[in-house]
Amino acid sequence: MKKVQFKSSYSQYIFLAPQLLILLIFLYWPIIQTFRDAFTIQDAFGFGSYFAGFDNFLFVFSDPSYYTAFKFTIIYSFVITLITGSIGLLLAVQANKVLHGKNVYKTLLIWPYAIAPAVVGVMANYFFSERYGLLHHLFNNLWGFNWYEDVFDAYIYVIIAGSWKQISANFIFFLAGLQAIQKTVIEASIIDCKSNIRRFWTITFPLLMPTTFFLIIINITYAFFDTFGIIDTTTIGAPGSETKTLVYKAYIDGFKGLDLGSAGAQSILMMIIVLIITIFQFRYIEGKIHYN
Amino acid sequence: MKKLISIFVLLVSFAFTSNSYSKTEIHWWYGNSGFLGDVIIEIANRFNDSQDEYMVIPTGKGSYEDNMAATIAAFRAGDQPHYSQVYDAGAAIMVAQVKNGVVIGFEEMAEKYGIDVDADNYIPGIKNFYADADGKMVGVPFNSSTCLMYANMDILNEVGIEEVPKTYEEFEGMAQKILDAGYIPLLQSHSPWIWTENFFSRHNLLMTDGNNGYDAVPTKTLFADTEAFVYHWTKVKEWYEKGFYGYKGRAWGDNQAPFTNGEAAFWFGSAASFGGMKDVLPNFTTNPIPYWDSVTGGKEYPTFIGGAANWILNGHTEEEYKGLAKFIEFMGSPEMDLYYHNMTGYAAVTKGGIELAETINFYRTSPYHKAVGDQLGLEGSTIPGGYRAGNWPQIREVIYENVEPMLNGEISVEEALGNMDKGAEKLLAQFAKTL
Repeated sequence: MKKVQFKSSYSQYIFLAPQLLILLIFLYWPIIQTFRDAFTIQDAFGFGSYFAGFDNFLFVFSDPSYYTAFKFTIIYSFVITLITGSIGLLLAVQANKVLHGKNVYKTLLIWPYAIAPAVVGVMANYFFSERYGLLHHLFNNLWGFNWYEDVFDAYIYVIIAGSWKQISANFIFFLAGLQAIQKTVIEASIIDCKSNIRRFWTITFPLLMPTTFFLIIINITYAFFDTFGIIDTTTIGAPGSETKTLVYKAYIDGFKGLDLGSAGAQSILMMIIVLIITIFQFRYIEGKIHYN
Repeated sequence: MKKLISIFVLLVSFAFTSNSYSKTEIHWWYGNSGFLGDVIIEIANRFNDSQDEYMVIPTGKGSYEDNMAATIAAFRAGDQPHYSQVYDAGAAIMVAQVKNGVVIGFEEMAEKYGIDVDADNYIPGIKNFYADADGKMVGVPFNSSTCLMYANMDILNEVGIEEVPKTYEEFEGMAQKILDAGYIPLLQSHSPWIWTENFFSRHNLLMTDGNNGYDAVPTKTLFADTEAFVYHWTKVKEWYEKGFYGYKGRAWGDNQAPFTNGEAAFWFGSAASFGGMKDVLPNFTTNPIPYWDSVTGGKEYPTFIGGAANWILNGHTEEEYKGLAKFIEFMGSPEMDLYYHNMTGYAAVTKGGIELAETINFYRTSPYHKAVGDQLGLEGSTIPGGYRAGNWPQIREVIYENVEPMLNGEISVEEALGNMDKGAEKLLAQFAKTL
């Protein structure tokens, strides 16, 4: 194959420039700003700012509600990943079997994915409203549901609100994964094994591992960052600060509390957390996955 | 294609119309929405119709918090409005910004551009709330409210209660009766504002050291140290367990809704809350917020001014400030003041407005409007009429965070108030570092 080469030495930079500029303005510049905020103490308007070393970080670590938010974020991302992954997989497997009206099912199952998190939150708000909420009424009859003060009930509220839309995302990817599995493999396995369930766990599911791994990362990132709109439109972090995600806490402290130093420090801590999770995933989970 | 062309033509014509007037534009950002936001737009429209030189352009930015964040972000980007509405909890931050040249104080503005409304024309309590350490008014009083008690008279009649409670003791005495009849006795919409900040002012107690921040930068709140405050929340928790008090989360509206729907006998909200209720709830009254007789010994003290003020931001041309001065003058006129008072239920903020209300016998026809002035006008307080504590929006968050675990029994009242003090102390220290 012939190599494509640019004649002049700088024309490639011109082609790269627009993309680099976007990265620079929307990614690197804010990151630099965040670092600056995290290590300075300043008033809301940016005056009286001076280098503060790790003061802002110490301030965050001395805040009990930061640990609560940390705990909740971990629980939340774990549960959301589990729920959305398993329900998405179940629906995908079932939809894959359907012969008639396949597209109708698919379309209906994919639809919620198009809804913005904040809108999902507002809808969940109706379902969990004490006045006219269906789910509130149902749970209330079962065990006396009160998310205003009960932590467990508030968890249920935000987990259902946060999972619903993400199930669609999982569904799409699992369905695509299923359809990518070669027919011959499935047919051969049918000859060897009668049990549907066993066949699924020994043949189909291992072949879906790359999709699953990808979805785990997507789901965790979603629970970490994209559920912001859902929290803001449902519990606003209540009761106490039990349903605040780390992102939501950084937002509250930075934009409602106007303490950019603390919010900046929290953002950097969040970067570190995500970095650790990602490294962990690629190191320990990906090694166990076989891409075809 | 035809559509595209017509849209283009429309856009071009818009561009030309706004240019062809060439009025001086004055941007006013606000943090009210719904009906209150509509009234703000109406005020701007009236001003714009009253003269040809200037045009006030009001822009709603969402909630008070949203507007304050937007104003700050805009200032940092060098794109700030001329005039912005900032709420009570942000007053300390705004007053502190005069020295940085962010905010132009009202009195400085009045001197420079000749506003025909004197600072002393505003009601002293309101004026002092937005004044700096020397007593110079900085923020321009606008929507001044306070917390009031709304009572559903139909429920009270049904259970045979003739007079609304003046004290918490009286409320406690009648709560069981209301509960037995199947109603929620009490709801309130803002734990930090109503049952913390205004609890202190209503009982003539200091909330922070440094004389509520008026004499020195405050370093701590006095929540757990104030016996009456501990007593109050112990009672609230007791009421909550008995069903005398219903907690419906942090959202203002969720706590108001049962009252508006006739399911609760009393609700504590803002003086400006009755608008949405007037046509829904047939028979309700607005009353001063109760107090503990055992704490004040039968005396009543005024509450803090709530709501917001407008703040003049630096960095614009002289011509624009002249226009803004005209606008401030316009809003400070007795007619506009009374108009706003009438429309929203916020207090009349000028002496002229109050005089006008008396002249036309306003309160005889609109009894809803009376309680706010009565409560704010009370005398005999020995504490300042406000508090100057930085990072207060976050301290409110800390208060909320501890109210819920206290109500559900996870932590005791003493622990909760202790946590609030601890959280507040750190936030106050953080703010003090920026001064």
